[in-house]
Amino acid sequence: MSDTLLAILHMCIFPGGAFALIVGFLFKGLDRRVEARLQRRVGPPLIQPWLDAAKLLTKETLIPKTAVRSAFLLAPVFGFTGMAVCAAFIPIPGVFDGLFNMGDLLVIFYLLPIPAMALMLGGSASSSPFGAMGFSREMLLMLAYETPLLMILLAVAMLVGKAMNGGAWGAEFSLLHIVAWQQEYGSLGLNPAMIPALIAYLIFLPGTMGAAPFDIAEAETEILEGPLLEYGGPLLALFQVTSALKTFVVLGLGVALFFPGTICDLWPVNLVWFVFKCLVLMLISLTIVKSATGRYRIEQAFRFYVTVPTGLALCSLILVWVM
Amino acid sequence: MALDTTLKKLSVRSPWLFRINAGSCNGCDVELATTACIPRYDVERLGCRYCGSPRHADVVLITGPLTTRVKDRVLKVWDEIPEPKVTVAVGICPISCGVFRGGYSIEGPIDRYIPVDVNVPGCPPRPQAILEGVAKALEIWKKKLGIEG
Repeated sequence: MSDTLLAILHMCIFPGGAFALIVGFLFKGLDRRVEARLQRRVGPPLIQPWLDAAKLLTKETLIPKTAVRSAFLLAPVFGFTGMAVCAAFIPIPGVFDGLFNMGDLLVIFYLLPIPAMALMLGGSASSSPFGAMGFSREMLLMLAYETPLLMILLAVAMLVGKAMNGGAWGAEFSLLHIVAWQQEYGSLGLNPAMIPALIAYLIFLPGTMGAAPFDIAEAETEILEGPLLEYGGPLLALFQVTSALKTFVVLGLGVALFFPGTICDLWPVNLVWFVFKCLVLMLISLTIVKSATGRYRIEQAFRFYVTVPTGLALCSLILVWVM
Repeated sequence: MALDTTLKKLSVRSPWLFRINAGSCNGCDVELATTACIPRYDVERLGCRYCGSPRHADVVLITGPLTTRVKDRVLKVWDEIPEPKVTVAVGICPISCGVFRGGYSIEGPIDRYIPVDVNVPGCPPRPQAILEGVAKALEIWKKKLGIEG
């Protein structure tokens, strides 16, 4: 019973739920601010995501007459729940080992696409033609970026597994063991065999976050924000919260996979260090790319993802295999 | 009750703008786009954001003299915007139809059909005028929410 309670606490407060939300919204605010500064604008205040969410709570919710009511209302809740649970599985090195030490790569791989699926569900339930268009684009993009992600995870699992088996064939899917191994033998991000996988992960981030140049499914100038078109008020706020949680999850996963080093034994210092590394990851892979690029067409993005990041991840996989 | 008021007070710092083109010549639309995008007149510092969907909008910016062809669509889109919303007429066309007044295809001025809250005259208006219009719209939004200015 107390285990259940502990799990719920981890999912609601730390590191899932409240903590992930605070970090995610802080990152979203910083993202907009830095993007504005790169374009020589002033930009919104840092608390802008909170203000947006507060505003959305005061707006009325309109549900289209032709929409599938239950699916339309449940889709944002579905996405939010998936991400809150997933955030509890992300280990914060030196602070938290992941829920029940179960931070398993495969569990995270299954939980990660839930917000995209919620978006697809909501888009198709809204009965809007733009929602349907967003649905098909999101699905195509998801097929494209999930392949390199799976290969990156496999490369990491095989490298650590082989090393732990003393050079014999093996794969280690426990994120806790992967982090512990890296703390002993050095970060994977500095390992020459893993550098292609790291670059592939950096390319995977804007795709999964729906940021430019891969904001194809929610393109506001082409298809009026696609799946989000019919959402307004508190439901839209829930989608924004989900997106903030997802920011925390994918950046935290990146840090855990490639740079899980700690600087000392104090947990507050480690926590700040972890958030700092996530921030650097976000600035490199999301903000700078976003402020300098336009938007790909869906077939260009698909072709890009199945060639460049998949090829890079495959390189890493082969390097791990032969070494 | 207190939470409600706090949320409303915070919410006026996040006005999302939505543009409706009611048969405009695009001059005002160009001004709107550059007002948001160029460094000198950055409206994002007010917390504004251009949104693509009428469902997300708080402040509606209407340009153009409301031609016969777009009238029904403009009214339909305007109805889709959730309350509370503030309507800003940008340019001389939605206010008085300008040089198009009395034309066979003109249904405007726009306040025959839609309650307009702020008028921003000009052909096209200067970016500063549009910014002031948005700032005035925020004051009206506060009144509509029932909180002190």
